[in-house]
Amino acid sequence: MIHNPQAAAWLVWLESSAVAVAMRQWLWLYPVVEIVHITGIVGLVGGAVMFDLRLLGLSRGLPVAALAGHLLSWARVGLGLVVLSGALMFTAHATEWAENPAFRVKMLLIVAAGLNAWAFHRWPFRSVAGWDRDTVAPPRARLAAVVSIVLWLAVIACGRLLAYL
Amino acid sequence: MTGRLRIAALTLAFVLPLALAATPAPAHHGWSGYDSGTTLNLTGTIKESGYEHPHGYIRLDVPGKTWLVVLAPPSRMENRGLPRAGLTPGKTVTVVGYPNRTDPEEMRAERIIVDGKTTELR
Repeated sequence: MIHNPQAAAWLVWLESSAVAVAMRQWLWLYPVVEIVHITGIVGLVGGAVMFDLRLLGLSRGLPVAALAGHLLSWARVGLGLVVLSGALMFTAHATEWAENPAFRVKMLLIVAAGLNAWAFHRWPFRSVAGWDRDTVAPPRARLAAVVSIVLWLAVIACGRLLAYL
Repeated sequence: MTGRLRIAALTLAFVLPLALAATPAPAHHGWSGYDSGTTLNLTGTIKESGYEHPHGYIRLDVPGKTWLVVLAPPSRMENRGLPRAGLTPGKTVTVVGYPNRTDPEEMRAERIIVDGKTTELR
């Protein structure tokens, strides 16, 4: 069932593709992809939020640079999993998701979270050697941490809500 | 940041998304989007069917109307003994379920009776 045959041509094409049909009709593919998506969220949001909490001053004895190397590497692996599995799920119902308000907000929030992470690495993180351990992180680093936590939790909320809106 | 400020920031960070999430929404997939106070008992002919994720469906012709009947995920229907062939167009089936609160053409089936066999869908 194409949800909206009047949608943009590329969305209809995507939703009619062999991958989309497999996603909708193979008995266990869809749930497996959902499991991969959730596993990816754990790596991405778990890694990012644990790092953010350290920036906000929890477990101040742990070196920030080393923690970034460990947690953010796993967050990147998680990002790869959610993008791949998310693209598959989008394909299955492309015309429906493209019109879904929660889906649109979710995509904007992901872009915002990406820009926030980029800005954090571009500016405050450069000086990490000066506040690596047992020191309060600079205000801009703590601000980035709060923004990151808010955005990622909102992304999760939108992701769950898009099935109900 | 002082301790109190940090607690305030953390609280905000965790509560704000929850506040956003708690906004009441017209449900589409959830059972709450259907009026369980009104039970429909429809017998008709399958015009079209989809053994598809996230929910299977049939278009059911009953006298004067074609309903879009939302069923369960295909993996669940298969597990409960309702294979794809059970929903072949042209078959006469009975569904018991509830009307969508906003879409008068759509209902969600609690159970479906195919070839005399009842399959629970929830």
